[in-house]
Amino acid sequence: MFRILKKSLKTGVVTGQHPAAAPLAETPTSEAKDKATPFRSSLAFRAVDTGSCNACEMEMNALANPVYDIERFGVHIAASPRHADALVVTGPVTINMEQALKDVYQQTPDPKIVIALGDCAINCGVFKGSYAITGPVDRHIPVDVRIPGCPPRPAEILNALQELRGGTVSNKN
Amino acid sequence: MADTQSYENELKAAFPAIVHTDTSQENCSQFLVPKALLPAITHYLHTQPGLRGRLTALWAVDHRPLRDCYSLHYLFTLEPSHRWALLSTELAGADRSFPSITPHIHAAKWYEREIRDLFGLIPLGHPDLRRLVRHEHWPKGTHPLNKDFAWDQVMGRQQGEHHFRRIEGEGVFEVPVGPIHAGIIESGHFRFSVAGEPIMQLELHHFWKHRGIEKLFEQQALTAAVPLAERVSGDTTVGHSLAYCQAVESLLQLEVPRRGRYLRSLFLELERLHNHLGDIGAICNDTAYALPHAHCSRMKEQIMQLNDRLTGSRFLRGVNRVGGVAIDLTAVQLTEIVAKLDRVEQDFSELESIIAHNASLIDRLETTGILTERTARDHGVVGVVGRASGLAQDLRRDRPFAAYDELPVNVVTYRYGDVRARMRVRMDEIHESIRLVREIRLKIPQGPISKEASRSPQTGDWALSAVEGWRGEILYMVMAGANGTIHRCKVRDPSFANWPAIQWTVLGNIIPDFPLINKSFSLSYAGNDL
Repeated sequence: MFRILKKSLKTGVVTGQHPAAAPLAETPTSEAKDKATPFRSSLAFRAVDTGSCNACEMEMNALANPVYDIERFGVHIAASPRHADALVVTGPVTINMEQALKDVYQQTPDPKIVIALGDCAINCGVFKGSYAITGPVDRHIPVDVRIPGCPPRPAEILNALQELRGGTVSNKN
Repeated sequence: MADTQSYENELKAAFPAIVHTDTSQENCSQFLVPKALLPAITHYLHTQPGLRGRLTALWAVDHRPLRDCYSLHYLFTLEPSHRWALLSTELAGADRSFPSITPHIHAAKWYEREIRDLFGLIPLGHPDLRRLVRHEHWPKGTHPLNKDFAWDQVMGRQQGEHHFRRIEGEGVFEVPVGPIHAGIIESGHFRFSVAGEPIMQLELHHFWKHRGIEKLFEQQALTAAVPLAERVSGDTTVGHSLAYCQAVESLLQLEVPRRGRYLRSLFLELERLHNHLGDIGAICNDTAYALPHAHCSRMKEQIMQLNDRLTGSRFLRGVNRVGGVAIDLTAVQLTEIVAKLDRVEQDFSELESIIAHNASLIDRLETTGILTERTARDHGVVGVVGRASGLAQDLRRDRPFAAYDELPVNVVTYRYGDVRARMRVRMDEIHESIRLVREIRLKIPQGPISKEASRSPQTGDWALSAVEGWRGEILYMVMAGANGTIHRCKVRDPSFANWPAIQWTVLGNIIPDFPLINKSFSLSYAGNDL
C-alpha cells in the first residue's frame, strides 16, 4: 500500500504532458459538426479494424493512457456497436473484412458518425490497388470525418475529435 | 566447422539422392531434394538428436516467366549449431502436388495450407486442407501469388461457408468471438468449444486482414520497398524494415558502415522497450489491475515521445534504409536517450516490486495458459513465448546482425511457460535493453551511417535475412527480378509461427482467462495475415 502511495505521489499528474498537435490537416465539415451535436458531452465509439497495420490501433490505445486520458472529454470505447455513437474505422478495407464492416455499420443505431482514421482508411495508403483490398472506407459506408496521418499522433486525433465536437483541448502546458 | 561438414556428409550418406549446392548465405547449406524424399529427409532433420532441426519457414516460388516451374523451400534451423539447412525441390510443368510433411512436423501445418491457397500447389496427405488465407467467399481457383494473377485484379465473390471443427455432446457449446472485437484490437476470429467453463477446443480463423503484401512487394523496386516493409506490422516497424533491408543489402553486396549498424541496434532496442512496456501493462489490465497498466502506458508514452523527438515518428518510421540508416544521432541526443532510459528504468523497477507483491495478480498469472516446452518445440515457437517455455533462442546472440556481434546479449529463459513466465521474460528484457542502449552509447563509433549501392543483383539471386524483433524471429527471403525489381518476397512474422501454439495453451483454462493468455502471447494479426 505504501509503495503504491509513494509511487503515485512521486509520479504526480501527467495528464496533458505531450507536445502540442499540429494544426488540423482537414477541418470537419459543418454537416459533420451538426451530426456530432448530440454527442458533445458524451461520445461512445466502437473501433473497427478493416486491415490496418496496427499502428492506428496503438495510437487509439494511447488516447486512453494517463497522458491523453480521453475519458476526461467524455469519450469512451463501447464494447458493442449497439452501444456506440460512432465507428472509428482504421485500415484499407480488405476483401475479407468488407462484409463485417457493412454488418457493424448496420448494427450501429442512428444517428451515428463514421470516422476514418489514418491514411489507409482514407485512401488505402501503401496498400492501394492490391487484389485483396476493395477500397477505402467511404466506398462501403458513408464517412463523416477523416483524420489523416500514418498514423495520426494521439494529440492530433484528440484535436480532431474536439474540433468536431466544438470544444477545445485544454492542455495543461 | 568440422561438425557442419560431418552433418552434411551424414545427410548425404543417409540420402544419396540429395545434392548439396553452394549458397552465398552465411551459415546456410542448401540441398536439392527429390520431392518424394521430402517427408523422410525433413523427419530426419527434425528428429536426429545431433541436428534437431526446427522448421523456420516454408515458402514456394513461381519461377515463371524465367522457367516453367515452381520451387518449394524448407528452411530448418539446426538448434545445436544455429546453422540453417535449406531443402529445395522443384515442381515442373503441370505437376501441382507435393507430399505433405505435416504428419511428421506440426510446424508445417499453416505453411502448407498457405502455399495451397496462394499458389494452388497441393500438399498430398495434409490432415487439414481447409482454406486458410483465402476465405470461402474467394472465387474458386484464385491463387494470387501465381505470376499469371494480376496484382490489381478485382475479385468476385462466391457463396461459401467456413466449417469449424465441432465437438458435440451434452452441455458442450460453441462461443464465437470476432472478427471485430470489443476493445481496440485487430480483427481475428476465435471459436471456443466449452463444456461448462473449461475450454475443450479453440480454433483460430484468421487472415481477415490479408492485404496481399507479398504480391505488393513484387510491384516494387528492391531499394524502394522499405515503406511497405515498415507497414507489414505497425508495431514492429524497425524489425521488419531491418530484416528487409538486410536481405536487400546482401543481394547488393552492401556492407553497412559500423555506425549505421550500431544505430540500427539502438532503434531496435527502443522499439522492443515501448512494446514490452505496453504488454506488461496490458497483461495486468486483463486481470483488472489498472494501476500498473496506467504506469506502464505512461512509460510507453514517454518512450514513444522520445522516438518522435529523435526521428519525427513515434513508431520510428523512415529510420532504416537500404545501405544503412537515414537518421544520425548527435552525442547530445545519445546522452538524452540514456538519461531518459535511466529514469524509466528506476520508475519501472519501483513498479516491478509493486507488481511482484500483489498476491491476487500472481495468483491469476501462475499456471494460466501453460505452453509446455515440448509443444513449443513441436510448433517451432519463437521469441518471447519460446523463451518463457524454456527455449533458449535469441537471434541477437545466435546469429548476430546489426551491431550485436560487438554487443553480447544475455538471454533470459523461464521454464514454466505460463502467463507469469511470459511477463517475467518481458520484464527482464526491459532491463537488458536499457543496458544494451547504455553500452551502445559508450561503444558507438564515428563515421558514415549509410552506403549507396554500386551493383545490381542478377535475376533469380535470392537472400535470406533474420532479425530478432521484439516478438521474436522475423524472416525475409527476397529474390531479385529483372532490372532491380523483386521477383518474390517471403515475409515470415514471428506471429505466424506462434499463433497455432496458442490453441494448445488454452485447453482446460476458462474463457475469462483467454484474453490474458492471448495478451501474454501478444501476437500480431497484421503480420500474420499479410
